[in-house]
Parts: sequence; C-alpha cells; structure tokens
Amino acid sequence: MTDEEKRILDGEKGEIAQRSMQFLVEYGEAAGAERLIDLDGTVDLHPLADWVPKYAVTLDEIKELVKKGERFKVPTFANKPVAPGFLIDGWEKCGLPKNSDPEYRRKNMEALQPLIDMGMIPIFSCNYYLVSSFLPTVGQHCAWVESSAIPWANAILGARTNFDGCFHTAYLGKVPAYDMHLDENRRATVLVKCETELKSDIDYDLFGWAVGEAVNLEVPAIVGIGKPTTSQLVKMNSALNTGGQVRMYHIPGLTPEAPTVEAAFQGNYQRELSITRADLRRVYDKLNYATKVEVDFVYLGCPHYNIYEVYQAAKLLEGKKCKSLLWIMTNPSSYQVAERMGLRKIIEDAGAVLLSGSCPGALLETPPMRVMATDSAKQNYYLTGMFYPEKLDVWYGSMEECINAAITGKWSGDWR
Amino acid sequence: MAETKKIILKGRKVIGGKAEGEALVSMEPLMGWLNVNPQLGCTTERNHPLCGVSFKDKILVFPTPRGSGGFVSYGMTVNYNTNPAAFLYTKGNNLTIFASLVAQIPTVTDFDQDPLEVIETGDYVKVDGDRGIVEVIKRAV
Repeated sequence: MTDEEKRILDGEKGEIAQRSMQFLVEYGEAAGAERLIDLDGTVDLHPLADWVPKYAVTLDEIKELVKKGERFKVPTFANKPVAPGFLIDGWEKCGLPKNSDPEYRRKNMEALQPLIDMGMIPIFSCNYYLVSSFLPTVGQHCAWVESSAIPWANAILGARTNFDGCFHTAYLGKVPAYDMHLDENRRATVLVKCETELKSDIDYDLFGWAVGEAVNLEVPAIVGIGKPTTSQLVKMNSALNTGGQVRMYHIPGLTPEAPTVEAAFQGNYQRELSITRADLRRVYDKLNYATKVEVDFVYLGCPHYNIYEVYQAAKLLEGKKCKSLLWIMTNPSSYQVAERMGLRKIIEDAGAVLLSGSCPGALLETPPMRVMATDSAKQNYYLTGMFYPEKLDVWYGSMEECINAAITGKWSGDWR
Repeated sequence: MAETKKIILKGRKVIGGKAEGEALVSMEPLMGWLNVNPQLGCTTERNHPLCGVSFKDKILVFPTPRGSGGFVSYGMTVNYNTNPAAFLYTKGNNLTIFASLVAQIPTVTDFDQDPLEVIETGDYVKVDGDRGIVEVIKRAV
C-alpha cells in the first residue's frame, strides 16, 4: 500500500474513507491482490447496494459527506436500482401494488438524491453504457457492476473491470489490482469457432449462452460471428454471463485488444471448440419449455431495450390490440426519446406498457402469471428461480414471436 | 469394515477459519441472484442437479460461479442460518469473493488438484482456511 492509502486506513481522511479502505483491504486480500490500483475510467454501481453489509455506508453518512463538499473520485454512473428495485418511468401503469404507489416511488427516488449530490449520474439502467454519453477508453481501469455490462467494458471497449462497482470504489477511486486489471488475465485461452450463421438477434443470445456454458471463466477468442449489431452484442454479452461467467472475450478484427487471432492469444492458446446449430438448438430447448399455449405475460427488455428495439416493437404493435399483458422495458433515456417519437403512444394504444429502469427480477414482483414469454435468456432463467418452489412456464423466442403471443394471447413461436 | 482413505488438498486461503462437515459437491457451476434462495438455503436454478437440496452446514464444493453479481446471495445465507460451513471451489472471481466476505466462512480455492476430482458428496471434509489445507476423509465404501 502507498503511504496515502495507509493514512486513509489509519483514519486520517475520516471514518467513511477509513471504512471504505478497510473494505478494499479485506477484499483485496481475499482476492490475492498485491496492491490497489487508481481508477482512471468510470464506476457503474447499483445505487445503495452494498456488497458487504459490515462496510455499508448509510444515507445519513452520505448526506454528511455531501455537506462537506465531498464527491466521487471518478465519473460514476447509476445502474438500475436494486436496493430496492423500482420503476423510473411508466410506473403509474404497471399495475403492481407496490410499484404503482406514488409514495413508494417518491420515497425511493428521494433516497438516491444524496448519491446524485455526490456526483452519481442517474442513468438507471443495466445498459447504461449505451446512453451514458461518457465511456472509458482502451486500458482505463474501471469498477463496474451488472453481469451483462461487464463484457461491454472489458471486451467491447477494452477498458478493465472486475465486478466491484460500489460506493466505496467510487468514493476512493481505487480497486484491488487483480484479475481483469492485469494483462496476463486478459489473454484468450480458448478459440471458439462459430460454425453456424448467426442471423437473428436471439441467435446471438443462444450463442452467448452456449459459449458461456462451454468456457465459463476462461477468456475466449470468438471467430465466425459476422458483424453483430448493437442489439445482438448486448444480448450475446448478457447470455455469456448467464450461461457462464465470461467477463472478457476477444473477437479478432472487431474488439480493440485483438486486431488478429494471434493478438488475442499472445501465445496463451490452450484449446479450441466449435459451436454448431445443434448447440443453439440445445440452449433453445432449455429456455423454451412451456406446454400451455395461453400466455399470461410477455416481457421484453432484458437487458433494457435500446431505442431501436423500442422502435421495432412499436412498429409490430402499431394498430394492433394485445390480448395478453405485454411489458416493454427500456432505459430511462430511451424512454424520453420514445416519447418524443410517439412510440410510447403506439405501444399504449395497443394495450401494452412501456416502462423504464427496472425488470421483474429487480422488482421482485411480477403481474400475476403462470405462463410467460420473453426474448431474453437471462430474465427467462432467473425468474423461474424467483418463483421456486412454485412453477413458472416460460416460452422463449424472438421479439416478433413474443409480440405475436401478446396480440393473439397464444404462443406460436418455433425453432427456425 | 470398510477402509477409510484420507487425502490432503492444498489451496489458497480466501477466508480463514476452521470448519468441518459433510461435503455437498456440485459438478455444475453455481448461479446466484434469483437462482439461490438464502431463506431456504438451496439453489433454485431449474435444471440444476442440486435444485432444492439444502447446503446448510455442508462443505459446499463447486467448480466455478456463473451468472449475476447476485452470487453474493450465497453469502447472505448467514442472515438466515442456512449457510454452508465452508466454500471450496476450483476457480473463482469477484463473485465468489464477495459471497465469502459476506458469509465469513472458511473459503479455499486454487488447489494443487481439482477438488471436484477428489471430493464426493458425503465425504467428511476438514477445512483449515488460514493454511489453505483441506483434509478429505473418503466416505467408506
């Protein structure tokens, strides 16, 4: 530790800084890190969610820091609130007892104000990186959260992050130097060849899951996946980190740390594997297993739909009427754009609901349902865990199949 | 009388302290967030071989974590007294570290041999977290 870090640990910079440093020291020791590293990128945090309760910082303590003029050390962004989860937009129409209560929302928003006063930028989205308008650059050290976002930082941007965005890392601007912060851990070890053409958005979801299952904590170099769109990369990242624990990968020729396959491996090649159409089919069957065709609830927007996905969904709904409840979840920034484009009105005229800033899993609350349809492997796989020991039947398919299910009230999607 | 066999594994300490008990081995990675229920003390991941199987007081052995940062819920089991006695895993990352920091139960990883190849459910296991030593007493066969 540097002299300055030791002084913080000794309490010279106040009790909150000391507690934050104690957290970093205990965390760093458990991680086997030899030192701390100064963040020069960004922090992404779930507001008010503390990783380790014994080091929690209270709201009153944050208010005191604000009064003293203290601010976060690096640009700090709010991911979706999870402590507790609540809706940012559209909550009046969600129909959920807790979340449609104006008092509940007011109280939760008010609780985040001290963090905003500290400089936290209230994007409130799992894919805040799509709309934050400020991103880390190649090599910058960051502290992000959210499993679907971590590969965006490491792989797509070439920034460096573990899974440790929180008040403490943002306040001190430091993290333990281990895992994804170190060059040697970012090299690929496994070559993943995609031997089927990925066409649809959900193909990338299925592919991400299949790769995640196959490589887990390894760093893959992925070849043969064409030129994915933003929607497709977001889906792939989300599934890579649900089916597995892929926090870093390379796509030679596309991601910044791997202009070539050789650059991805840097001599660290250990094995290779192929993903075929049959692998995608196997994952599809795991995610699409309901038997009852009548669908109670259709959920789109995990990760939060970007503005183009909201646009696509609105076009499919234009002039139609939904028989089943349909939620479309976007990030709060895109919600505003959707409003300006008239998309919210189109969606609501079809009897569906446009919401922002959360998801059923983060709300820990869903509309009454037994059969759900979704285009998200991630939300699909976690919601059944939330329902346990009760059973939840889930259909899985494309945005178009899900919207058809909402319009007709019945699932008619199929493997293509 | 069946013979008992003792095997020693050497790993890296994550969290110190001593624990012993019966092993519960997951050959599949474990997933957190909504797929672990701290009140019930079990994984709730559909398709998982251990879905619904209590890990309370067990030496929980698994290959890796996967999925959400909500893996930390494995640590929150201490709030409900459903926590395992110790965590042993082949390879971890941020997810397993935070779960262990919350639970404050002996945790060892990065072993000299893969614990999944040595430890089976029902084996009696003694964990010395500080020294990173794990003693496996094979279930009598």
